Amino acid sequence: MDTQWPRWEVFKQDTPSKPHQAVGSVHAADPFHALLTARNVFARRPQAVSMWVAPASAILSVTKEELAEGRELKPSTFDLKPSTYYVFRKTSHKRSMTFVDYVGELEAPSPEDALKLAIERFTDAPALAWWVVPASSVTKSEDSPETVESWFAPAKDKTYKQQSYYGLVGAHAGKHKRTQGDDDE
Amino acid sequence: MPGKFGKPTDPDYGERLAEFEARIARGEKIEPGDWMPEEYRRQLVRMISQHAHSEVVGMLPEGAWITRAPSLKRKMILIAKVQDEAGHGQYLYHAAETLGVTREEMLEALLSGKAKYSSIFNYPTLTWADIGTIGWLVDGAAIKNQTMLAQCSYGPYSRAMVRICAEETFHHKQGKEMVILYAKGTPKQRAMAQDAINRWWWPALMMLGPHDSDSPNTPTLVRWGIKTKTNDQVRQEFINEHAPEILEAGLTLPDPDLRYDEATGNWLHGPINWDEFWAVVGGNGPMNKERLEARRRAHAEGAWVREALAAYAARRQQTAVAV
Repeated sequence: MDTQWPRWEVFKQDTPSKPHQAVGSVHAADPFHALLTARNVFARRPQAVSMWVAPASAILSVTKEELAEGRELKPSTFDLKPSTYYVFRKTSHKRSMTFVDYVGELEAPSPEDALKLAIERFTDAPALAWWVVPASSVTKSEDSPETVESWFAPAKDKTYKQQSYYGLVGAHAGKHKRTQGDDDE
Repeated sequence: MPGKFGKPTDPDYGERLAEFEARIARGEKIEPGDWMPEEYRRQLVRMISQHAHSEVVGMLPEGAWITRAPSLKRKMILIAKVQDEAGHGQYLYHAAETLGVTREEMLEALLSGKAKYSSIFNYPTLTWADIGTIGWLVDGAAIKNQTMLAQCSYGPYSRAMVRICAEETFHHKQGKEMVILYAKGTPKQRAMAQDAINRWWWPALMMLGPHDSDSPNTPTLVRWGIKTKTNDQVRQEFINEHAPEILEAGLTLPDPDLRYDEATGNWLHGPINWDEFWAVVGGNGPMNKERLEARRRAHAEGAWVREALAAYAARRQQTAVAV
């Protein structure tokens, strides 16, 4: 039986000029628990200035392959009031530690409508995968300088977590390319 | 979110498999939601969950030395390292979850003893020099494997590996620095470092897995881009980097047959004691029982925290509804 806490997807912003990026997920009982856990799991090192979490169950996730196979994006049949959706997209197969990037928000009556709109609107790069997230389901870390400082600055000062802290230790040793034990110096 | 998992009995299996393999050959990543063979999914769940368990169990041999670290600096480094291993376990469980397996199922498999984890963590950490040696040799071997897995065709596993490799290089460096320092230190420190190298060298070679001839899964894993190198290739890379460096540090290696081969540019090793490896994998290593007991105890002792958080969340929800 699956009794575990719900899964939350985590979006991390490295610097103010970069988009929020999907970094992975955590399990948590509520959004604040999710944010705290996300900080412990994904911000042990710089850089980070902001984090968002959203319940995985609220996310519409569609890949290029699914769209090519004609996955149907049902438009809303009800006369729903439009609400805000955040759109995330992946555009490259390059080696990366993040998945989809935030590209913008739009108003639509349903996630499917939002995705259709996003496909029309965000055309600057070919999309390999889309995530559509209702803005109302997203919980964000506080933007106040105090919170940013207390949440994300400590990782910067812990320079011993960087390999550069240890300098160049033990150069490669060509002279040992002999039988072990010959070398008595 | 889990994708479509194809079986060989499906009418379109051959056609889909050809498309799938062509995607991998083009260097594309397979993402959750995409079609994949059920066998690809099965192999990935097996590998990723074992990998996650290894990170989690891997906290135990090192965690045991946090209270006994010789200086505040070494203690902070060790705490950060063990914390990283916990995080790596989380990244990997997440990657496995995208294939439709739950974290709860995976934890249950670990705690019941059904799931495997890396053989290396069933050896004891007897002295402080073991902490440096684990960083240099065990993390050194792990990085060779993980750098290869960062190229994996499955997107979520690849991304977890890229993140882990970036963090793991610190683990490797701090260990290497520590052992080299002790090798240059007092006779007692040098003896402690040598003893640790002697005990960890062979288990480090073994943890990269059986020889290719005894590794029946490898050809399929390579064809589907899950692995891009064989166990023996990765092991050779590990030895080629570490053997000369350990000798350069003034230490020796416990392998009388070890030699540099001019013709191939490889360091050749003597026979590996696979009986020992299979005994450890089979549950009969020096620390298997203790490791599993420690995990079970930690899980049981954390029950009240999980209950308290659940009660808090339930109450908040009720209050929210009431308001």
